[in-house]
Amino acid sequence: MLLRHLSLTNFRNYVRLELDLAPGLSIVQGENAQGKSNLLEAIAYLATSRSPRAGSDAELVNWLVREEPYPYARLAAEVEKHQRVERLDITLLPARNNHRYRKQVRINGVNRRAIDLVGLMPVVLFRPEDVELVAGTPQQRRRYLDIALCQMEPPYCRALSEYNKTLSQRNALLRHLAEGGGDPVQELRFWNDKLAETGSLVMAKRQWFINRLEREASLRHLDLSGGFERLRLRYLPSFDPGIRPEPRQRRYPSTASLRERGVAYEALTPEQVRASFLAHLQAGLSRDLAAGMTLLGPHRDDLGFYLGEYNLRTYGSRGQQRTAALAARLAEVTIMTEAGGTAPILLMDDVMSELDATRRAMLVEALTSVPQAIVTTTDWEDFQTPLLEHATRLTVHAGQLTRLSAPVETA
Amino acid sequence: MAMQVVAEPIQRLIEALTRLPGIGPKSASRLAFYLLRAPAEQVQELAAAIGELQESIVYCSRCQNLSQQDPCEICSDPSRDMHIICVVEEPLDVVAIERTGVYHGLYHVLHGVINPVEGIRPEDLRIESLLERKEKEPIREVLIATNPTMEGEATAMYLARLLRSGGVRVTRLARGLPVGGDLEYADEVTLSRALEGRREM
Repeated sequence: MLLRHLSLTNFRNYVRLELDLAPGLSIVQGENAQGKSNLLEAIAYLATSRSPRAGSDAELVNWLVREEPYPYARLAAEVEKHQRVERLDITLLPARNNHRYRKQVRINGVNRRAIDLVGLMPVVLFRPEDVELVAGTPQQRRRYLDIALCQMEPPYCRALSEYNKTLSQRNALLRHLAEGGGDPVQELRFWNDKLAETGSLVMAKRQWFINRLEREASLRHLDLSGGFERLRLRYLPSFDPGIRPEPRQRRYPSTASLRERGVAYEALTPEQVRASFLAHLQAGLSRDLAAGMTLLGPHRDDLGFYLGEYNLRTYGSRGQQRTAALAARLAEVTIMTEAGGTAPILLMDDVMSELDATRRAMLVEALTSVPQAIVTTTDWEDFQTPLLEHATRLTVHAGQLTRLSAPVETA
Repeated sequence: MAMQVVAEPIQRLIEALTRLPGIGPKSASRLAFYLLRAPAEQVQELAAAIGELQESIVYCSRCQNLSQQDPCEICSDPSRDMHIICVVEEPLDVVAIERTGVYHGLYHVLHGVINPVEGIRPEDLRIESLLERKEKEPIREVLIATNPTMEGEATAMYLARLLRSGGVRVTRLARGLPVGGDLEYADEVTLSRALEGRREM
């Protein structure tokens, strides 16, 4: 799979861009604030229908255009797959009556849902902010899991979206019930069932992914750190799916010890997880009613990074956290290639400059092992001459891209 | 203050029309000026039709559908099968099922579906009257024909639980492929429902 052409209109600082992309490595050099990150953000947005950094889609529309009578932004990609070209495009249009934007997604010119787009052009994006994977909030780690899994598993993406819809219905119902009136058991039954059905699928896939991730990431981590300590990853769900609380139990079983010892989850079937989730929802009813929201479920999941017995989030140095995050990203590339059958496009946003020679070498190895990679840098010096000679070189200045060279062909 | 360009009665009509669903300020002014120039009898006919609408339309006390009479035409038709009730979300769903000409039973209109985010709970729907009918009428089957959306399913499940007693059969409209459709273009969820609901032939 190759990204052959990218068109941008009014996206961030790109008023107009028509860019042909070559297979292999492309390096985009530019000073700060010229549009390096915006270019990679556009590709990631087309791949996942979400921005890796913007809080709202309104931020993506060029700010000069926003004052015009009909502001819009458009992103389009031509993707070559099995000798066929697919056209993906997303248009951001002002939503009626407020200052937000809505997305219009098309595949080969036909209107589709955003969920249909995800996975057609898998990407893995490396950013300097990746250290947040280890150091940041559980929400950031769930987002990492979701973006990786949604791109390789369409059923995961559907289950997750249904889970989220069910969750907001259930939370609204909990608030209505708390105000009085209605039979909680009767009215919640459907939403509990649906939450357990979709949630157990989400949890099963996350567990599968984290197991694979641990295997790959710990190997990469040994190479990156040159150390002897094994990187361990642990799935930390909000309840123990191996336990089924009694229906009349008035409170949730404690999860404090669960966070420490992890869950013996591998042996459980999705059916068992579903039954356990449902029993936990029933046992936690009074707590949920008091809180006016659902307190258990994959929307409260976390992923723990450990070195030996130490949780890197709490005890790791910035350098250790960065190394672990890098190992996780590299592992993601391998898993996606194996599970999806096609290698993702690698996107690296100015990550070379802060790494030492060993780590750079590992990244270069990853970059040259995939069919297509697009990398940004402020400084050509970050790359060694042989690599530069085999790359397509571009520079970006104020939203304008210029091609410097085609790669040197080798026989 | 801005000068009043359009005469007050026209302005009032435009504002009233703008409140209708699907009509923006532009369509409203176009309609208003059309009516201004249209033949008097046509305008009066429209005015009379609108005026009589709410006076002459009532809810059927049996099936809760909108009708000119109570009980409605379907409920008072002796040729209909009195042993089966088809439960739908909206009056327009009755029209859709009637168009098939396949169904000869009675109806029950809920006037909505359970949707907590929109603040719609079971007590906001016409469920009480459905349960009363189940007790009073010689019902053998209740066919739940709410839409296959998450909210429609929630309503169907809720109803099924309440209805499933006293020898009444509770059924659900089948889900699957549209007639004249193409397997290749069916989404995975629809296709898997069709596989689950396959039939002996």
